[in-house]
Amino acid sequence: MPLDVIMPALGMAQDTGLIVAWHKSPGDQVAEGDVLFEVETDKATMEVEAAGAGYLTDVAAEAGAEVPVGNVIARISETPEGTGTAAPAPASQANAQDDLPEGHSVIMPTLGMAQDTGLIVSWQKAPGEAVAADEVLFEVETDKSTVEVPAGFDGFFAAQLADAGEDIPVGQVIAIISAEKPATTVQRSAASTPAAPAPATPAPVAEKTEKPAPAAKAAAKPAVTSQDGRILASPKLRRLAMEQGLDLNRLVKAGHPQPYHVRDLDVLRNLPDETPAVSGVAASRRITAALPEDGFAEFMVWAAEQGFKDGSLLLAALAAASFGSQSAIEVEAFGASKLFASDGSLSGTETTEDEATLRIRDLRFCRISSVEMGSEDMPVLTLSKNASGLTVTLECGAHHLTAPEAVALISNFAGRIENPLRHLL
Amino acid sequence: MRNITLSQAVNEALAEEMRRDETVFILGEDVAEAGTPFKVLSGLVEEFGTDRVVDTPIAEPGFMGIAVGAAMTGTRPVVDLMFGDFIFLIMDQLCNQAAKTHYMSGGKLNVPLVVRTNLGATRRSAAQHSQSLHALVAHIPGLKVALPSSAYEAKGLMKTAIRDNNPVVIFEDKLMYNDKAPVPEDEYLIPFGEANIKREGTDITLIGTSSMVQVCEKAAEILAAEGISAEVIDPRTIVPLDEKTLIESAKKTSRVIVVDEGHQSFGITGEIASRINEKAFYHLDGPVLRMGAMDVPVPFTPALEDLTVPTPEALAENARKLMSGEMIHAA
Repeated sequence: MPLDVIMPALGMAQDTGLIVAWHKSPGDQVAEGDVLFEVETDKATMEVEAAGAGYLTDVAAEAGAEVPVGNVIARISETPEGTGTAAPAPASQANAQDDLPEGHSVIMPTLGMAQDTGLIVSWQKAPGEAVAADEVLFEVETDKSTVEVPAGFDGFFAAQLADAGEDIPVGQVIAIISAEKPATTVQRSAASTPAAPAPATPAPVAEKTEKPAPAAKAAAKPAVTSQDGRILASPKLRRLAMEQGLDLNRLVKAGHPQPYHVRDLDVLRNLPDETPAVSGVAASRRITAALPEDGFAEFMVWAAEQGFKDGSLLLAALAAASFGSQSAIEVEAFGASKLFASDGSLSGTETTEDEATLRIRDLRFCRISSVEMGSEDMPVLTLSKNASGLTVTLECGAHHLTAPEAVALISNFAGRIENPLRHLL
Repeated sequence: MRNITLSQAVNEALAEEMRRDETVFILGEDVAEAGTPFKVLSGLVEEFGTDRVVDTPIAEPGFMGIAVGAAMTGTRPVVDLMFGDFIFLIMDQLCNQAAKTHYMSGGKLNVPLVVRTNLGATRRSAAQHSQSLHALVAHIPGLKVALPSSAYEAKGLMKTAIRDNNPVVIFEDKLMYNDKAPVPEDEYLIPFGEANIKREGTDITLIGTSSMVQVCEKAAEILAAEGISAEVIDPRTIVPLDEKTLIESAKKTSRVIVVDEGHQSFGITGEIASRINEKAFYHLDGPVLRMGAMDVPVPFTPALEDLTVPTPEALAENARKLMSGEMIHAA
């Protein structure tokens, strides 16, 4: 069973980590505790150790790459050949699995260097409540102190995946903040979470023993279905489901093993609302990032001195660098639109006739402070002014970008807009 | 409170009622000098004489008929039927005569008699002396049926039975005659149709009769160690049956197992399970399970005989299955 190596969460408000250097090459034998790679965050550079022994394989991120926290970047396998499959795409987020609502994953943060778990003292928000990024979502107790942890994202507290009182491995997803008010919320304990959540591999910084995945007992039940398509459920469960207006068919569709009893009611209650999929209306995503300062204005002054006088070109370059090099970016500003092909650098950005894959809507110079346009024919990044800085809004269809891709795009772009020079250097 | 054996408790009940009411008398095989093979009646003939503790020939239909006639004409006979298995011999006198006389006489005649007999296997008494046949008589309207589960119940139910104006059959477990339990020295009666919650619990209800109450209590101990809270209920009389207590418990725990030493098929476990099913259906989170004696003649071979009756371990295993939501009988 290969171990996943993930980008650890080293800071509280950290979305990504920059791989400074690999200390091992693919195929190298590694022992538990060996330094695998160095990560730079906004605060410090740290060495990340191997969580187990084996061979480093399936390296999916090179030195210099900036990787979202929680993403699998390599594996430690039993053979130098590895699994033969590429490391899972960055899409392997907890919210892609089972029945969880879509949104930002909130993980158990690393609050101390030698910490491998954190005890949730209390939840400060109830599932379904609206939260702002800087509002306290939960309190964590480590061996040293009790810390209030902010939500980190604006939105709605859509899923609570651990109960107060539970000791959770660092890096495990414990909550999901959705952009839109969820129709149903999930609330369950980490112990009852089915299967191992993808980014749940404990942060490699700390020494630890491999913890068995908290496989739910229910999953081990042999699945029984009646021949004639009837649902096998206890009379009490049927009565409670009827009283609460719940449809047992949804448990069947979710593949939950029969027969159903009262304890399956919680599972049913927490199934995500399926209405959008059924109605055929494409689900859309909307994510906003608020930047306290407008670093871009300053950057434009600097860029003009370097000979880059077109603000739209600068935006296209930063967007291309965030979206993936060699993108065609359409920039809308002052009612006109321009198309750029860009490899992510300023000198490699020029106008083109190619079909765009990403649209930037620059609304910094009007009074619009917030947009909610809905999904368009491609992902749209909108820049607007807020009280002191800028707001970046990403809107796209669920089919354009997966939730993790959307999160990565806006975090990368917002980071570049906030401090463009740093990213160019 | 003193501890006395079930034998002593029955003996006390009979002596007290015979002192209180001179119309009470005992008849049956080996009841006087022998005091029955189980020595339950020892000493009674010395106090009350052979007119009130009457030895009969080995002729069950005969002395049962005498008892029915005596009851109709103003006495309160207590018939001693040496083994519960002999109940087949007195069926007509009991079920066609005693059970129906009050009804067929338009209420003019009462038959206030008690049949004292026993049930229970694992005494190595073979197939004709080991049966638990209380379901046979519980089926007949007009008869009341009591199943004491300890010395305390044996005394209190016997005194109530003797004072009842209708025929009552009491089945004592023949393996429990030497089991001691706390019994008050002061007089007390246990009313019919009042179940006893022996142990309170929240997860599962175990309903047991006679010695199966002990099986339920032992199983509840096993389950408690595993974190399962079992409620144990002793109905004490199966006719009349305290449905209310049983159904309330079923609604509370959502899971029920009924345990009885009669053969499982067509037995009282099925009757009780069925009533719970009818009256607590929408509160049940699993099927009501029955556990009775195996549907075979009781073997004489000890190793086999012990396999035929419900055990605490088997009961606990069934309780675990119900708790886990496992499919017990695939649909």
